[in-house]
Amino acid sequence: MDALTFLIDGFQTALQPHNLFFAFLGVLIGTAVGVLPGIGPMSGVALLIPVTASMTSGLDPAQAATSSIILLAGVYYGAMYGGSTTSILLNTPGESSSVVTTLDGYQMAKQGRAGAALAIAAIGSFVAGLVSLIALVLLAEPLSNVALKFGPAEYFSLMLLGLAAVSGLAGNSMTKAWMMTVFGLLLSTIGLDNVSGVARFTYNISFLYGGLEFLTVAVGLFALGEVFKAILHKEKNDGEIAKIGRILPSKAEAKESVGPIARGSLLGFFVGVLPGAGATLASFFSYIMEKKLSKTPEKFGKGTIAGVAAPESANNAASGGAMIPLLTLGIPGSGTTAILMGALIMYNVQPGPLLFDEHPDVAWGLIASMFIGNVMLLILNMPLVKIFAKIIETPTKYLLPLIVAISVFGVYAVQVTIFDVFLLIGFGLLGYLLAQHDFPLAPLVLGLVLGPMIENNMRRALTASNGDFMVFFEKPISLVLLIIAFLWIVVPFIMKLKGKSIIVNEDM
Amino acid sequence: MSKTFDRIAAITFLAVGALFMVESLRITKSAYGSAVGPNVFPFLLGLILVLLSIKLLFETAKYAHSESEKLPLQYKKFFIILLAAVFYAALLETVGYVITTFVFLVIGFQAMEKGGLWKSVLFAACFSLGVYGLYVKLLQGTLPSWPIWLQ
Repeated sequence: MDALTFLIDGFQTALQPHNLFFAFLGVLIGTAVGVLPGIGPMSGVALLIPVTASMTSGLDPAQAATSSIILLAGVYYGAMYGGSTTSILLNTPGESSSVVTTLDGYQMAKQGRAGAALAIAAIGSFVAGLVSLIALVLLAEPLSNVALKFGPAEYFSLMLLGLAAVSGLAGNSMTKAWMMTVFGLLLSTIGLDNVSGVARFTYNISFLYGGLEFLTVAVGLFALGEVFKAILHKEKNDGEIAKIGRILPSKAEAKESVGPIARGSLLGFFVGVLPGAGATLASFFSYIMEKKLSKTPEKFGKGTIAGVAAPESANNAASGGAMIPLLTLGIPGSGTTAILMGALIMYNVQPGPLLFDEHPDVAWGLIASMFIGNVMLLILNMPLVKIFAKIIETPTKYLLPLIVAISVFGVYAVQVTIFDVFLLIGFGLLGYLLAQHDFPLAPLVLGLVLGPMIENNMRRALTASNGDFMVFFEKPISLVLLIIAFLWIVVPFIMKLKGKSIIVNEDM
Repeated sequence: MSKTFDRIAAITFLAVGALFMVESLRITKSAYGSAVGPNVFPFLLGLILVLLSIKLLFETAKYAHSESEKLPLQYKKFFIILLAAVFYAALLETVGYVITTFVFLVIGFQAMEKGGLWKSVLFAACFSLGVYGLYVKLLQGTLPSWPIWLQ
C-alpha cells in the first residue's frame, strides 16, 4: 500500500503546528465566506492568495506552498459548510451551491427545526468530505500514473477538453462563455514567450514583460468585481433570522438522513470529478434524485430533512471530487479550482501527474490536512453554529471598503508595483461589467491559467511533428479526448436546437 | 440581457481579437529549434475571438425587446469609492501605506453610510496601523512607510 505510507507522511506534514494553524484559519475564514452572502468561495480564495503569500513569506518555498494551499483549500471546502447556514436561517443562500438547501432548510427553520437542519447539514458535509477524500487517496496514484504516459499532443487535447467542458456549462450563452475562454487565453500570451523568449504585446512597458499577473487579475475580477456589484445594487438582508433552537437532530431525523447522505456523497463526488460540473450542479442533481427515490415525494419543499441532507452532502463531496482532476491531471474543472491552481503555480508547484513525484509533501500534506480540516469544520459548525449565525449581521458598511483595502494590500504586498494596483481596479470594473451582462468569469480565469500550458504543449507537439497539425488526430488517446471535447460542445448545441432546456452552471 | 451592452461588447472584443491578430504578425515567425513560432498561437486565438464576436453580433439581432426592470443603481456611492480607490493607488507610494489606507477607509465607510464618524475613524486606524504593524514589523514585509516630511 504505497498510498497509505504517503498518506501517513502527509499527516506528519499536516500535523505540524503551523500547518494545523493554517488549516484552522482556512476553514474558519471559509465558513465565514460561506455564511456571508455576496462573497462566494471564488472571491474568498482569490482574496486570500496574496494574504497567505505574505503570511508564509518566512518559510522556504516548498513549505510555503504547502501551508498556503492548505489554507486556501480550507477556504474552499469550508465555504461549502458555511453556505448552508444562511440558506436555512435566512432563506438566502450564502453561495450558489446552497440554493437547493433553501427549499427544505428554510421550511424546517420556520417549523422550529433549524438546529436539526444545521446539524444534519454539517454531519452530511463531514461524511461527504471523508468519502471524497478516501476516493481521492485511492484514485490519485493510478490516475497520475496514467497521465504520466501522456505526451504533449495528449496533454494539449486533454486541456482542450477541460476548456470545452467548463465553457460548455458556464452561463446562459455558450458564445459568451467561449469568448471569455479565448479572451483569457489571449491575455495569457502577453509577456515573454516561454519557448523562444520573444516579447509579445509588451510595447516596451516593463511591467508587461512578466505577463499579466494571475493574482492581480483574479482578485480584481472576483473580489473587487463583487464589491462593486454590492455597492451599486444595494443587497438587502432584511429577513428575520430564524431561531436555532435544539442543535442535535432527533433519532428519527438522523435515521431518515442516512440514505440521502450516502447517496449524496457518492453522486456529488462523481459530479465533482467531471470538469465543468461543479458543486452547484451536484446539489441540484442529488435533490432531484432524492425526490424521485423518496416514498413521500410530496414532503419535499415542506421541510423534510432529506432535502437538506442530500444536497449539502453532495456539494461537499463535489468540492473534494474537483480536487482529483486538479491534482492528478493539472486540469481545473471549475473557477475555484482554477484559482487554486494559479496559486500553486505562483509557488512554482505545477499541479499534474508529476506533482505526486516531485512534491509529495505538498500533495499528500494537502490531502491529509483536508481530513483534519473536515473534523475542525464539524466542530465549528455544530456547537459554534450560533456564533457563526451572528456573522450574517456584519454591516456591509464596513465589510465592502475593507475588502477593497485587503485587495489593494494583497496585490501591492506581492507585486510591489502601483501598476498592478491600477490593473486590479481596472479588472474589478471589467469583472463587474462582464458578470452583470452574463459573460461568465470562470472560463476567463481558466483560460488565463491554462493558456501557457496549452501553448507550450501545442508547440512541443507540433515541433515533434514538423508543424503537421494532424499529430493531434493520429495519436489514439489524443483523438479520443478531442472527440469527447467536440461532443461536449456539439451535443448541448443540438439539444438547444431541438428546444430542450439545458442545465447550466450559473456560478462556479 | 442587454442588447446594447452585448453589441458594444461584441464590437469591442472583435476589435481586441483583430488587434491581437495584426500585432501578432509583427512578432518574429521563427524560433530556433521550433517549427511553430511564437506568433501562431495568439494569431489563431485572435481569429477565433473575431469569429465568436461576429456570432454574438448576429445573436443580438435575435434578442427579444424586453425592457428589464431597472433597479435604481447607487452611482454616487460607487463613484466616490471608485475615485477614492484610484487616488489611494496613485498616492500609495508617495504618501505611504498607513495614511492613504486610513483616509481611503474613512471615506469608504462614510460613503457607504453617513454617521458614526468616530467609529469609522477607529476602525480605519485599527486596520491601517494593524496591517502595517503586522506585515512590516512582524513579518518583515515591504510597504511604503511614512512620507519623507514626517520622518
